[in-house]
Amino acid sequence: MRVNSNMVPNILADLQQSQSSLNTYLQEVSTGKSVAVPSDNPIASAQMVQNTIETANVDQYSQNVTSVLSTVQSAGSALSSVVNSLTRAVSLGTEGANGTNSSANLQTLAQDVQGILTSVVAQANTSVEGNYIFGGTASTTTPYTADASSPSGYTYNGNSGSNSVAVGDSLSVQVNIPGSQIFSNASNNVLTSLANLVSALQSGNSSSISSATTALNSTIGYVSQQQEFYSNAESRLNAQETVLQQDTVTLSTQATNLIGVNEATAATELSQAETANSATLAAAAKVLPTTLLNYLSAPS
Amino acid sequence: MGSLTTSLLIGVQALEASQAALTATSNNIANSNTPGYTREEAQFSESPLTVQNSAVAGGGVMLNGIESVRDELLNLQIQQQTSQQSSADTVSSSLQSVQTLFASNGSDIASAFSSLSSSLAALSANPTDSSTQQSVLTAGQNLAQAFNSTANGLTTSQSAADQQVTQTVAQINSLTKQIAQLNTQLSSTVMSQQNGGTVEDQRDQLVQQLSTLTGISVSQSSDGEVITTANGSPLVMGGQSYNLQTTTGANGFQQVLDANGNNITSNIQGGQLGGAIQVRDQIVPGLLTSLNTLASQFATAFNTAQKAGFDSTGAAGQAFFTVPANGAASGISVALTSGSQVAISSDGSAGSNGNVANLSAALTNALPSGQTPANTYANLVYQVGSAVSNASAQSTSLGQSILQLTNQQSSVSGVNIDEETTNLIRYQTAYEAAARVVSTIQALSTVTLDMGSTQSY
Repeated sequence: MRVNSNMVPNILADLQQSQSSLNTYLQEVSTGKSVAVPSDNPIASAQMVQNTIETANVDQYSQNVTSVLSTVQSAGSALSSVVNSLTRAVSLGTEGANGTNSSANLQTLAQDVQGILTSVVAQANTSVEGNYIFGGTASTTTPYTADASSPSGYTYNGNSGSNSVAVGDSLSVQVNIPGSQIFSNASNNVLTSLANLVSALQSGNSSSISSATTALNSTIGYVSQQQEFYSNAESRLNAQETVLQQDTVTLSTQATNLIGVNEATAATELSQAETANSATLAAAAKVLPTTLLNYLSAPS
Repeated sequence: MGSLTTSLLIGVQALEASQAALTATSNNIANSNTPGYTREEAQFSESPLTVQNSAVAGGGVMLNGIESVRDELLNLQIQQQTSQQSSADTVSSSLQSVQTLFASNGSDIASAFSSLSSSLAALSANPTDSSTQQSVLTAGQNLAQAFNSTANGLTTSQSAADQQVTQTVAQINSLTKQIAQLNTQLSSTVMSQQNGGTVEDQRDQLVQQLSTLTGISVSQSSDGEVITTANGSPLVMGGQSYNLQTTTGANGFQQVLDANGNNITSNIQGGQLGGAIQVRDQIVPGLLTSLNTLASQFATAFNTAQKAGFDSTGAAGQAFFTVPANGAASGISVALTSGSQVAISSDGSAGSNGNVANLSAALTNALPSGQTPANTYANLVYQVGSAVSNASAQSTSLGQSILQLTNQQSSVSGVNIDEETTNLIRYQTAYEAAARVVSTIQALSTVTLDMGSTQSY
């Protein structure tokens, strides 16, 4: 068989091939990505769509956890200070019911309990970043305002709604209980109980002071139960934060696996491609100029 | 016994033969880098024997002519594969610009979906924050723009392919005309028993170019070469060329008609023309349809979720996106004008975030097409990516095969400088030897004429 002496097309193809792989590896090393356009790896590119969305979501869920945690913690500490206030009010009521107090003393006790009522209302009107946390979903309205016609002297302006905040793809955590449930519930009305104790103290009737104190005492347990809700929410949020941190790691590992580059491998491949390229060039330079004419003496 | 004259005649024939061989060799060397050149060989044979007085003597050498060495079968294979490669190259280069629209670059649809989704999650935690509300609106606008620019990019590549159809048809017509002229020229040279080499080389070169433009089928008839498109519409028959025509079709794109006016657009395969038609009529419309379905179904789902809630002012939610019935992806836009119109609330109070979950669900629930918006889009990315990578892979493998065939063709028809140099020496020696024969015969003739004469010739 006659041998094809024209090596130019072959050499050009080889050079193009080695330059193209040199480019590929150079780009991989410099960008840290093995997939720049979908055709580099169609399957990985398709999977990256979900990964991109998930990554941004998980990032936002983490921020949600942080922001919701502060709300839940504020609510929890507001309720714990309400419990403290109520405990103090109960001891004031017990003191007023022992029958040894002068009428002036009882008036002082009544004023103290009235002060506690005001501070409990202040706690019920707690706001975080301008949003009232005990107003149900009516977070822009002051939940409790003074109203002389109400037995407790305050009226509830909020609603009975509650918000759940997304902290995971299929997980949302309820972040508030409406004030109507905590402070002015029909069966355990904190505000009315306090107001009743105030009027009992003012009346000076030991037995009515005593029964108002008992009624108030039972609301302490009730508020503590509501406080439990917030500490549960807090621990769920903390647990979710850990899950989200793991998700972040998983997603970024997945992204690296899909479109990332193993630096060590890429660098090795780059240097191999460099070697191959210079070998091809050297071989071309050696082979191309050689013909029989190099070895024939010029005709004399 | 032969005479001196016979020997002289043989010597002169040998000189002529060596000269012809030297001409072929020098022409080969001169054209060693001419594209499409086929090496020439001087064809010798022995002249008939001479019989004189029952003695048999050789008749010298006869020059039968100079012939080009070519392999038609290899040419055909190269033409076919060139058509396929050129089609794959056209598809791949047309879609290169398309696939950057689907690459993750921050302004693609996936990124836009991602920021809409995370801005809704943020809204879930801060339903009353006006900047968070605004960021949902902005994310919606970015998504609409991403749909618009992706759809426009697809349409642009479709019109580019359409222009390519017109240009390629013009090039095909110009080439077939030249090929027909060369066919005419070739049939007259063949008739006059001349070597058709140069003309044939030129024609093969043009046919090769034609095969990069469209898939062709080449055959030989008594009138010369017959070239048709892959589906049999005539392009060249001997000395006659048949022009393809283009006309604007019902879909607004150029349709290709054969010389008889038949629409052959959908039958054209291979070459730049086949590739451009494939991109314009199949690949891009497929992608556009999927994109439009996605835009339309997602917008409908999101609007439904929006209408289920109340905005920050307590008013019932209005449609978030406006989508036209036709060209949903290129025409989608955000209908809302303010972040406060995002239907966050489920109960009408400003602090409720109850409807945000519905809005988020529009992003994660399956659309009527059966898949979530993200998965639908991921499928599109896969389609685009695999279309490009298949076309490039096809082009690469065909390139290897063409290189192989070209090497085979060169090994048959290519000029080898070493071989030509050797031939040069060989024919030089033969010429010198033949010249020596002539001068020897001349010397002998002189001696013979001088015999018995005082006069010296």
